[in-house]
Amino acid sequence: MSHTCALLAWALLALIGLEAAQSKETPSCCGPIVSRSEWGALPSECSQRLSQPVRYVVISHTAGSNCDTPALCRQQAQNVQHYHARTRGWCDVAYNFLIGEDGLVYEGRGWNIKGDHTGPTWNPISIGITFMGNYMERVPPPRAIRAAQSLLACGVTLGALRPDYEIKGHRDVQQTLSPGDQLYAVIQNWPHYRE
Amino acid sequence: MMLWGLLWMLFVSGLQAAEEKCVLAEGETLTVNCPVNQKYKYSKKAWQRLRDGEQPQTLVVTESSQGTLSQIQVGRYILRDDPQESMLQVRMINLQVEDSGLYRCVIYYPPPKEPILLFHPVPLVVTTDTSDKNPTTKLTQILTLPTTNIPSIPYTSSRTVTPFLPTPTAVISPNTTVNLTKVTDTIRLLVFSIVIPVACGIFIKSLIFTVLFAVTQRSFGR
Repeated sequence: MSHTCALLAWALLALIGLEAAQSKETPSCCGPIVSRSEWGALPSECSQRLSQPVRYVVISHTAGSNCDTPALCRQQAQNVQHYHARTRGWCDVAYNFLIGEDGLVYEGRGWNIKGDHTGPTWNPISIGITFMGNYMERVPPPRAIRAAQSLLACGVTLGALRPDYEIKGHRDVQQTLSPGDQLYAVIQNWPHYRE
Repeated sequence: MMLWGLLWMLFVSGLQAAEEKCVLAEGETLTVNCPVNQKYKYSKKAWQRLRDGEQPQTLVVTESSQGTLSQIQVGRYILRDDPQESMLQVRMINLQVEDSGLYRCVIYYPPPKEPILLFHPVPLVVTTDTSDKNPTTKLTQILTLPTTNIPSIPYTSSRTVTPFLPTPTAVISPNTTVNLTKVTDTIRLLVFSIVIPVACGIFIKSLIFTVLFAVTQRSFGR
């Protein structure tokens, strides 16, 4: 009887261990992400995938309005998507993820689909994370910075990002002011930043 | 047995952070993409070879940049500079065994000014082209292990481990530049990445069977 109990306990432990090692779902150490359905996204028409694990992350800003509540940021995410998908005619919102000043991460194209954020050379090899707002003259609040850093750690845990991934500012790889002087100064101090 | 499982998981995560060597056969082309910051748009870029105890050898340098797409070829070295897209692409065509060594992309300044390292130094290993499928070929291909899912190694289809454990001395031919310690590491890698997942899989299946058996026994035994 006790022999069976021991085997049962072992089986459960082994199964849990294996599941944790192989699981591709959001592990318990990943922070919450506002899903596409939650922020009312139009369906994506994109099909090009990213080859993982990705080596580069490009940080940008939308240079548009910022938002500091979930209700406002939901609307802003929709606005950005509308501009990209309807006006610019892209398959979806350009970014892989969007960060709001409400401190929440908004799911864009996600970890698996190639974005349209940084041009033909960098889109297939990077994850594009944008901060919703204009950060030339102000910095995002700490909760937004935290959300981005937590998202990046999550990417490594999921195997979507290489553990030695490199962060680039949008202006490091394209001729642009993005992500704004203030936010650019912030990301240059991040551990994975590499010019 | 629990320790084995833990060891396996630790090893797999360790493997994902392992250094990558570029291993190619003679005649093949090495392609390296080195990101170049926008601020170096108008700078010269170069591909250099690093040799122990010597000054870096500059193999090819871009001409003065107008900030637009340009390409230069010197012998078997080709540089494609795309300043707008912030990328320098290096190609070494028709690789020779003697090309094996350490290389790097740099922003080039005339000496004595130090160059600026781009990307990471690239360790290149060029193997002789062996047309027969002997263990040597298989072993050198293993050095290009992807840093992702270990089960994706093509050799797992046979599921027998013994053919992949030749003694290192029998496998290394004088022409390969693979040294003994790396071979031992690779074999250890293979053992951990094939033996243990297979063993764990079988063990867990038998455990589940035992549990289900015990449960049915108990409910029928009452």
